[in-house]
Amino acid sequence: MPKQMPIDPTEVRRAAVLTSPEIPINAYIPNPQIEAALYGSANLVRMYHDMVTIREFETMLDRLKKEGVYEGVAYNHRGPAHLSIGQEAAAVGQCYHLTPDDMIFGSHRSHGEIIAKSLSAIAKLSQADLLQIMEHYLGGATLRAVERFSSGDAHSLAVDYALYGALAEIFGRDTGFNRGMGGSMHAFFPPFGVMPNNAIVGGSAPIAAGAALFKRVNRRPGIVIANIGDASMGCGPVWEAMMFSAMDQYRTLWGEHVGGRPPILFNVMNNFYGMGGQPRGETMGFDVLARVGLGVNPEGMHAERVDGYNPLAVADAVARKRAILESGRGPVLLDTVTYRFSGHSPSDPSTYRDKEEIDRWRAHDSLERFGNYLVEYSHADRARLERIQSEARERITAVLRAAVSLDISPRISVQSDAIGDLMFSWQRRNRPTDAEPEVLLPLGETRLAQTRAKHRFGLDADGRPLPKLKTLTYAEALFEAMIGEYYRDPTMVAYGEENRDWGGAFGVYRGLTEALPYHRLFNTPISEAAIAGTAVGYALCGGRVVAELMYCDFMGRAGDEIFNQMAKWQAMSAGVLQMPLVLRVSVGSKYGAQHSQDWTALVVHIPGLQVMFPATPYDARGMLTLALRGTDPVVFFESQRLYAEPETLVPGGVPLDDYEVELGEPALRRSGRDVTIVTVGATLYVALAAAEELDRLGISAEVIDARFINPLNYGPIVDSVRKTGKVLLASDACERGSFLHTMASNISQLAFDFLDGPVAVVGARNWITPPAELEEAFFPQKEWIVDTLHERVLPISGYTPRTRQGVAELLRRNRLGI
Amino acid sequence: MASAVILPAFGNSAESAMIARWLKQPGDRVEAGEPLCEIETDKATVEVASPAAGVILERFYGEGEGVPVQTVIAAIGEPGEDVAQLRPGGVGPTAVAAPTVPPNAAGRVSARINATPPVGISPRARGLAERHGLAPASLTGSGPGGRVIERDVQAAIRAQPRMTPLARAMVERGGFVAPAAGTGADERITARDLQAPAVPAPAAAPARDEDVEVVPLTGVRRIIAERMLASLQTTAQLTLHTSADARRLQEYRARLKSSPEEFGLRSITINDLLLFAVSRTLAEHHELNALFAENTITRYRRINLGFAVDTPRGLLVPVIRSAGALSLQALAREAARLAALAQQGRAAPNDLQGGTFTVTNLGSFGIERFTPILNPPQVAILGVGAIGLHPVESDGTIRFQPRLGLSLTVNHQVVDGAPAARFLQALARNIAELDLLLAN
Repeated sequence: MPKQMPIDPTEVRRAAVLTSPEIPINAYIPNPQIEAALYGSANLVRMYHDMVTIREFETMLDRLKKEGVYEGVAYNHRGPAHLSIGQEAAAVGQCYHLTPDDMIFGSHRSHGEIIAKSLSAIAKLSQADLLQIMEHYLGGATLRAVERFSSGDAHSLAVDYALYGALAEIFGRDTGFNRGMGGSMHAFFPPFGVMPNNAIVGGSAPIAAGAALFKRVNRRPGIVIANIGDASMGCGPVWEAMMFSAMDQYRTLWGEHVGGRPPILFNVMNNFYGMGGQPRGETMGFDVLARVGLGVNPEGMHAERVDGYNPLAVADAVARKRAILESGRGPVLLDTVTYRFSGHSPSDPSTYRDKEEIDRWRAHDSLERFGNYLVEYSHADRARLERIQSEARERITAVLRAAVSLDISPRISVQSDAIGDLMFSWQRRNRPTDAEPEVLLPLGETRLAQTRAKHRFGLDADGRPLPKLKTLTYAEALFEAMIGEYYRDPTMVAYGEENRDWGGAFGVYRGLTEALPYHRLFNTPISEAAIAGTAVGYALCGGRVVAELMYCDFMGRAGDEIFNQMAKWQAMSAGVLQMPLVLRVSVGSKYGAQHSQDWTALVVHIPGLQVMFPATPYDARGMLTLALRGTDPVVFFESQRLYAEPETLVPGGVPLDDYEVELGEPALRRSGRDVTIVTVGATLYVALAAAEELDRLGISAEVIDARFINPLNYGPIVDSVRKTGKVLLASDACERGSFLHTMASNISQLAFDFLDGPVAVVGARNWITPPAELEEAFFPQKEWIVDTLHERVLPISGYTPRTRQGVAELLRRNRLGI
Repeated sequence: MASAVILPAFGNSAESAMIARWLKQPGDRVEAGEPLCEIETDKATVEVASPAAGVILERFYGEGEGVPVQTVIAAIGEPGEDVAQLRPGGVGPTAVAAPTVPPNAAGRVSARINATPPVGISPRARGLAERHGLAPASLTGSGPGGRVIERDVQAAIRAQPRMTPLARAMVERGGFVAPAAGTGADERITARDLQAPAVPAPAAAPARDEDVEVVPLTGVRRIIAERMLASLQTTAQLTLHTSADARRLQEYRARLKSSPEEFGLRSITINDLLLFAVSRTLAEHHELNALFAENTITRYRRINLGFAVDTPRGLLVPVIRSAGALSLQALAREAARLAALAQQGRAAPNDLQGGTFTVTNLGSFGIERFTPILNPPQVAILGVGAIGLHPVESDGTIRFQPRLGLSLTVNHQVVDGAPAARFLQALARNIAELDLLLAN
């Protein structure tokens, strides 16, 4: 909606015909003379060597899975092995030109890409650099294991290191690249530009797009490749990632100095099968996959089909596309044709294809043909090729022997809480980089000057409310936290729908548009999966990112990105990656069933996420600042009921200076003797009203605002329950499966002997949220709290309940599933 | 299905108990919570209440039989119900305690949910009731579904007439009648407020053979018999005697008796003063405030002072916790409270455990000196004798002075004569200078 881009009706209504660029198909023309001059024999032979190494590595796993033994080494590998036998040329050709700065993200079938990229990086790094990398990665633990069996110069050591690190990871060993926490489908090694491989089909597309965004925004060298499969073209997040990467604004609105569109290459390893389904001819309709590029932008994503059975055709394509990406004219789509001889996995009976089809592809086997080519044009003789093959077998046998040894390659300790220690990184980003943050205004001239001039507390000395317009609100407190970090952390970006100009649907970012350049604050397509998924990619490269989902309910659109990616990569990387990502989600009301839900329970159920829900302006700023300075992923819940509210509970109001709320500590909002009420979110104010009513009935209620959902210190809650003996929990989340039931269970166990009644839970009804006019029947009201206390915990003398909250009602509702 | 009456576990240590007396006969109809029998453990006598309303169908143990705790001792239900499953020796009591629900025609389990639940008590209320010696079954619940909650226990505590421990003992055991309000502080009913019973307590039934009384060795008596013998057989007991100038002791006691009523000091006894002096003297002689067991001597800074009480069931030794930290008045009140509980057989097992030193007093019987028997693993016990006039030489003149007999038995295995003598010497001086000790 930028004002500088008016939409002209005359233009958009004019008749015309849309033309599209042509899509080249296998356009590479082999020319042995040029190739000899371009690559030289040594490099051509190295490509062969790398392909042979991959083939042998995958063959070794195939034998272990099927026969339990390889070259006399027996091993039962219990985990998965999605092999890429037959796809070696596509991987080696792609990585030939890539430097260690270039990143590749992959799929469940990426062993070949890991090896190809590692061997390419090793060839380009100096011995000193290699030793430095190996010595420092995971404190040298992997190198110590490799030194037990490997000798030779640093390059040879590094080859053993790469193969061993990957294999030990596949076998789930503490000495693997990710201490065994990633395994076959997730193994990666950032120092060589091998970035996380993803077991969710298409999962790497938005993450790689986010990594490319990081490179562009922070002017880092290199391109980013998302290696995804042909079947992932049916995945929404892949489309969303392409849309996100192709936005016009990179070239129309972002400053030219930023460099244009993010350098992202969507490379489809098109092996014609999605497990057993056949995208071409059966499950999709694009015929030629490269055609998809035409639906994305006028350049058709510079899409091409490339012959993935000729490594030189692939290397040529990547070199040409790199130039496009580096000049900011991406994204690029490559349809790299290849084929796997092996099944989807060792259990694959191949019922979906004929042996004849496999035999025809074997006749095209790139290893065979490229070997013949080397011999024919005198780059190597047969003996040399055979020596390469036997050396690969010996090397992989030695690596296997070390990787199966529990002495050299132990597993992570499960006696201690070593895996628990990996769930969060717990670091503070006090000074992320030395660069100056890019801004458009001095901080003192931003809207901060206006918010600072407001009343910081919402009540006057006599306890009467001050005018809301002149008092700092919850939304403005969030703004103060955001702008403070924007001017401190040069890597910080924020984006989502309507974030710029509008300032977010609820105005939290009002005033940021004037203060920040486009590349630090921008609008995205309505692509929640891409918003969350690119943020994951941006954060795991080391950048601070704040992604916003307009409504909590829209998390469903970003389910995988939140549950499988944002939550898990820190632990799956064994601490190699950090995830400085704050996902702001807003809990709505008045907008009916699809815009009013509190989904804290969904995210807190997934290990690896921190979950916060401030209920006052003081906490809004202090908790967002806390979240923005950490290195862990935070789902930050806000309430639309509260955006316009001033601070009325924390004496002194919202401080002018920086501060952080202590992680995990609940806040006491009202002291009392007889009953404890614990709330999450905006229900705090309902509970305080209930407490007033209870006071009139002669019952003194203590009210605690949990404000943190994970991590949460139960100590103060238990102390309160020990005092009162009675406890009621309340939030706006639907009652069934609410986080409050986890809290209730914990309190029952932590304070059982002190309880004078069951822990009662008051949540929203297990209905759809009805229209705004009927919300009082749906969300917890103060009467529900008083009545529940009366019916289930502490009958109040002479009191007549106004709603049905007894155990019979509880039974009835559950019997009906409502 | 009939309900099981289970012998509950008492305190931490008792593994079995003896059925002292059945209060109900087979065929009697009882209400839930009504006492069924009296159980005697090594420390106390406790009533077992009926878990349910119904008719006593069978008693599985007779009076005088020892029974492991958590055993089914009787069955209650409606006439004709089968009790075989409850009978100990067959199926275990815990297994049979959970009723099995036959599947009904619809194959649903709703029958269980609709069944009348047992009237509950919250964990918090249960804890409070136990601390105040109130039986949960005696409480009326005001919580949801009649659940007994904290406020019900608090109400029951408030409803108890406020009485001094002695007055309470006299009401409960002696048949005395209490007025609505007493003359003590805060209208507390004291012993003086009580009216004598209108009818004297009935005399015990004459024995069948008037020449012989056969007393089975049970409960407290049996424990005393075992402990006293074990004490002499397993320790090396040495008794030292001395006497202390009792003039100031008597003077101070006289002052207490004549002190203003509102001070609440009149009921402090000579024995209370002695317990006080012992608690203060022990603070300087930790080697006597000790336990000896399994080749280890454990000395305590905290003084948990046991004192012997003569009860109808035999000798009991209640323990005053942290006696060294209590004021004279507080110590006297605690001694009176514990003594009354012991007299009534209502002392909780924990009231009778954990002593680090014991005082036994036979002075009121005119006994001058005696040799107390140790209460192992304690290493010392003080016997207090009577106050008698003894000639004392002073400035060449012989005068008669009231002196208190003191006898200290120590376990010579771990306490030598000299430290024991030093303790006695210090105690005698502290008694002689009691007014100064109180000022300390």
